[in-house]
Amino acid sequence: MSADYLELLKAAILEGEEDDAGQAARDALEAGIAPIILINEGIQKPLEKIGRDFENGECFLPELILVGDAAGAATAVIMPKLSAGEQADGLHGTAVIGVVSGDLHDIGKNIVSAFLAAQGLKVIDLGCDVSPKRFVDTVVEQEATFVVISTLLTTSRPFYRQIVDTLKARGQREKTFVLVGGGPVTPAWAREVGADAYGRDAKDAVACCRELLTSGVKAPLAEPLVINALHTKV
Amino acid sequence: MHQKPDIIEILRRTNSGEYCAVKEWDVKRIPRAVRALLKKYGLEKVLNPAEPVNLDMELADTFFKAGFELALEMGMLCEPTERIVKISEDELRSALKHAPSQLELGFGKDKRVMKSRTPSDPYPMMFGASLGITISEDVWPYYIEGIVRQQEVDLLEGGSMVSVFGLDVMPGTPSETLLGYVQGRRHRELRKQGGREGMPGIGNISAVTEFGQFCYGTKGGFYNTDLSLILFPSELKVNNQTLHKVVHTLAMDGLVFAGSPAMIGGMPGPAEGAVLSCIACALLQYAVLQASVGGGEIYDIRYLANVNREGLWALSATHQALSRNTHILTHGIANEVSGPGTEAFLYEILVGVAVIAASGASFSTGPRAAGGKLQDYITPLECRFCAEVGHAASGMDLAKVNELAKHFLPKYEAKIKDPDIGKPIQEVWDLRNFKPTPEYHAIYQRVKQEAIDFGVPMDPF
Repeated sequence: MSADYLELLKAAILEGEEDDAGQAARDALEAGIAPIILINEGIQKPLEKIGRDFENGECFLPELILVGDAAGAATAVIMPKLSAGEQADGLHGTAVIGVVSGDLHDIGKNIVSAFLAAQGLKVIDLGCDVSPKRFVDTVVEQEATFVVISTLLTTSRPFYRQIVDTLKARGQREKTFVLVGGGPVTPAWAREVGADAYGRDAKDAVACCRELLTSGVKAPLAEPLVINALHTKV
Repeated sequence: MHQKPDIIEILRRTNSGEYCAVKEWDVKRIPRAVRALLKKYGLEKVLNPAEPVNLDMELADTFFKAGFELALEMGMLCEPTERIVKISEDELRSALKHAPSQLELGFGKDKRVMKSRTPSDPYPMMFGASLGITISEDVWPYYIEGIVRQQEVDLLEGGSMVSVFGLDVMPGTPSETLLGYVQGRRHRELRKQGGREGMPGIGNISAVTEFGQFCYGTKGGFYNTDLSLILFPSELKVNNQTLHKVVHTLAMDGLVFAGSPAMIGGMPGPAEGAVLSCIACALLQYAVLQASVGGGEIYDIRYLANVNREGLWALSATHQALSRNTHILTHGIANEVSGPGTEAFLYEILVGVAVIAASGASFSTGPRAAGGKLQDYITPLECRFCAEVGHAASGMDLAKVNELAKHFLPKYEAKIKDPDIGKPIQEVWDLRNFKPTPEYHAIYQRVKQEAIDFGVPMDPF
């Protein structure tokens, strides 16, 4: 019986049906399935599958985004039901994410946003062409655990430094981890601007958040956490 | 009667067309429309990775029909207003009919003529170098003059100065405006200094927003006989930055050179879907953006490259479809991932540029050294090699180019995901004397000889 509810939840997520996924999560909770099982089995498993399929060219960005949205909807239903101290594989906290000023390329950011939401983070997606001030204002307002910065343009990279510097100037740097990614962003750039973590893709972003939350480190890190870097020295 | 909508009418439609939220457009309307047309025209799963160049011209023509239908069905979404700019069939046909089939670019002895081509057309595809790879401010003039001195390169485009007077360039801020004026003026000076004052140019590769484009056509900046580069968001979208640039370029009596990549694995789905989206996008540029030269760019979202099998096939099918069914001046980019000083980079150029040239594109720009991600990772030598390949491969038989792709792909394809980024310009190019290091020159000669031995009709050294 519980297996049926789990299968319904997985199916709703894999079909990218946000409303159905939320309802399936509610039904499963009412049927008495432990929230932690729903998170780890009902949500994580389909997410892992869709990630593999995308890498193999067997599914595409629209499906990835819709699946992420559906997983996010289910997660939002389930997370409040986790009892204190219960360890789900999901993440906790708020992430403010956006593409920096001047850049309107949002595909990579959308994938990361969907993946983070699906892991249980409250994601505030600011969209594209976001000014450093707006990033930092939102981080302060939301008391964000993470700020996740993206761009596809080498010419927009200097804004990363401005965001980090403004976080420092406003006394927020010790309260928020800074994650950086995007096509022209490298570990060396993460180091140069004083970020806490670098990831190459959405899976890396999730891994970075998990590592930063679970390892007991505090922001700012002296040396950025680097996951899956292509080029470590440049 | 000329029924192409003018820019005033387009701007009106950006505020009066059907409302559609961006997300609805991206994740529902585009995928659904593309899937339906692929099915209707029998274009699903027609890609065979074992044959990286499409050799079926009937298939290319079917893609064109489906792409044309997609253009009419979708139009383009204006992102800030979330209104759809629809184009009627009469308007689209009129825009294509009145698009130039030939452009004289530059002046004097350095003038070049860009022409509409067909697959394996012996008239050479024009090549412009380079893309907007960021370059240190102190290196930039030497790099740009180095490109000018490569006689094979037809048009001067990039790269992008990372700072101006020591100030970081930040898009949308006054530093970008300043960069535009400096870059426009210096492009004129460096073309003259390199002995090709009338060399046609492309401005402004560094203009992320409209602020960097004010230098186009204005006093002392880029000539209005240069192409005005206007990129717009994929898939099938425009925004205010794009439209500002169009309005400015038209006000300067300039030439709109538009472009936007369709993404394999993105909203249109598989390679076949990206071909459809790319064709629709290329066609709509002539009606919506008043283009003189339009894009036909496709990247694989997994690698942001297109020198893999899916990318090459999609490029070939797109340019065959457009060049066989219109007289528009289409543009394609080979997106490489390896970097300067490596054999892999030159192999990627050889295959990518040859496929675009032989498939009928009028124009190509590049290269995108090291995926375009790293500052100072590009040299004029690769720019020259791109142009040499583009010119030489233009008239090659498609079947021969398919064999070329199959021969050279195994030399680099396993490394596309983790490519060798090579070395920065300072380590492989003599900036003051405008020549490669002996080691890099030897690599270039070796790869070029391999290409010649395979049958690419390039001039020996």
